[in-house]
Amino acid sequence: MISERFKKIVLKELNLPDYPLTDEMLANQVPGWDSLKHAHVINALEKDYKIRLKNLEVLNCENLGDLQKLIDSKLI
Amino acid sequence: MNEIIWQRWEKNSVNNPDADAIIHWIPGKEPFRWTFSDLFKTAKLFSILLRNSGIKKNEVCALIIRHNPYFYPLYMGVSAMGAIPAVLAYPNPRLHPEKFRQGIEGMSKRSGLDWIFTETDLLPVISPLIEKKENSIKGIYLPFEQDLNAIDINEFEALSGIKDSDPFLLQHSSGTTGLQKPVLLSHRAILDHAEYYGEALKINAEDKVVSWLPLYHDMGLIASFLLPLLWGIPSVQINPFDWIIAPELMFMAISNEKGSLSWMPNFAFNLMADKIHEEDINGISLSSMRMLINSSEPIRKDSNNRFTKKFKKFGFNPAAISTLYGMAETTMAVTQTFAGNKPAQVKADRIELSRGRFVLTDDDRSARVCVSSGRLIRGCEIKIMDDNRQEHSSGLVGEIAIRSVSLFDGYRNYPEKTAAAVHEGWYYSGDRGFEWRGEFYIIGRKKDIIISAGKNIFPEDVEDLLVSVKGLIPGRIVAFGEDDKEMGTELVSVVAETEIADKKEMDKLRIEILEAGMSADIAISNVYLVPKRWLIKSSAGKPGRNINKERILEMKLNKKSGGKHDI
Repeated sequence: MISERFKKIVLKELNLPDYPLTDEMLANQVPGWDSLKHAHVINALEKDYKIRLKNLEVLNCENLGDLQKLIDSKLI
Repeated sequence: MNEIIWQRWEKNSVNNPDADAIIHWIPGKEPFRWTFSDLFKTAKLFSILLRNSGIKKNEVCALIIRHNPYFYPLYMGVSAMGAIPAVLAYPNPRLHPEKFRQGIEGMSKRSGLDWIFTETDLLPVISPLIEKKENSIKGIYLPFEQDLNAIDINEFEALSGIKDSDPFLLQHSSGTTGLQKPVLLSHRAILDHAEYYGEALKINAEDKVVSWLPLYHDMGLIASFLLPLLWGIPSVQINPFDWIIAPELMFMAISNEKGSLSWMPNFAFNLMADKIHEEDINGISLSSMRMLINSSEPIRKDSNNRFTKKFKKFGFNPAAISTLYGMAETTMAVTQTFAGNKPAQVKADRIELSRGRFVLTDDDRSARVCVSSGRLIRGCEIKIMDDNRQEHSSGLVGEIAIRSVSLFDGYRNYPEKTAAAVHEGWYYSGDRGFEWRGEFYIIGRKKDIIISAGKNIFPEDVEDLLVSVKGLIPGRIVAFGEDDKEMGTELVSVVAETEIADKKEMDKLRIEILEAGMSADIAISNVYLVPKRWLIKSSAGKPGRNINKERILEMKLNKKSGGKHDI
């Protein structure tokens, strides 16, 4: 499930006041999360969580839920 | 009779039957490899299938297909029977189905699309189009649902009567939805282009192309797919959607396959330099790269430098960076930094450039560093024209007009657009530039087109999209390209008038604007909401793009430096 922390980081990076993020959503369904901004969003998540997300790991994520799970797996 | 493309492919399949033709890259798996012989045989099977399905010579077949190893022989099979392939972008999930259908319908009315070749997944989106009578589409065809094993290859007969002047392909140039212009290219134009361009690149039997470019883009289709197939050298094809998430895939392909030639737009140089972690490409060698060609959007010195600086230690040769200028209307390349030469750079006085003159300067504060797009390739000529389409004298900035042996045969079913763009055999590109010592420098566009990540976007398309957004004042919206040095490209920005003043409501409106852009697969990056009567009108009585762009950017700059204006 998308955590509040994840949501806050993404919305802040995309300069969005509020927007519902769900597990099934694809990144490019979030306003502003386009291919050019993708790297910025990933960087912001890495910085805040103090983790490293490899591009090839992110490539295996089908939706936001998968990305959250990937992050969670690195926090253990 | 002169050679046609199918005959060249046949020759390559006979001369190099077991050599790699296409290496279809799949992350984390063994790539799918086509030899020239297998590729050619499978193309024949597709051709028989299509003929048996009632598809005829000169019919336009739109291919809307994701990264699939069978795309390549299908494309060849379409042309083997004299039909005309046209690659269209597979819709992004955020593109609204209705907007996608409108785009295809617009194209079918103009380009005269006859058939749509696609995948089962897209049927629910495309099928409603067939029910409408007013478009030209005869049917939807699912080529990958057919059983190729059931086809007898002996049924294949090369279609007679195809001439080298006949159309070979249809490509859509510029624009996002209804404004796309259908460019028809003949066998002759493509074969001549392959010969002359290959000569400038010094293509040899050891070369291997590596590409992540989409095949609906001219650099993807012509340079990275057709050029190697015609020269009988292999190409590695990477899914563009995979590359954008993990750009190091391109380096893995270069390293594993010893890739030597590649093309990509300027933004990609920044993206790769910023996004690839060195630890993720340990052990990779880029030393086989002979030419990495920057094109499709204005070339930036910083982008080339950033890329070179970061990847030199992985064996990337700084001299491999090269530049190109071209467009679909001229098949592709017009100028190119020739193999072995570094792109030239000049420091031009900014103020003089804005006055339409190129004057060298040593003063870095007033200089704009212009990177050359190279020299003319054989078969092409350029004239720098003034606004009255008279040739300029040397040193002046003007519109680039091109004459080429590989010039297109006009926009299909668009005689008025063709007449506006081609005059006495010269194609007027709408690009502005100058020539200096035989090198050509492209510095901007005559029209307000936005070039974002190598994609051409018309501001009119963006403005039209936003007309229906509630809360914006109709007719008081301006879209423009905003330079982003960090990303090495232009971003789409919008200034729009609204009477809404409540912050929460304004935030909601901003999201609605972004969503309207997404529905047509246009990424709007910056939204500036301004009060009623803020936009300055041009002499035509409509809000002027340039003047309002300058105004908003100046306010943004003031705000950054502590000014009080709010935007």
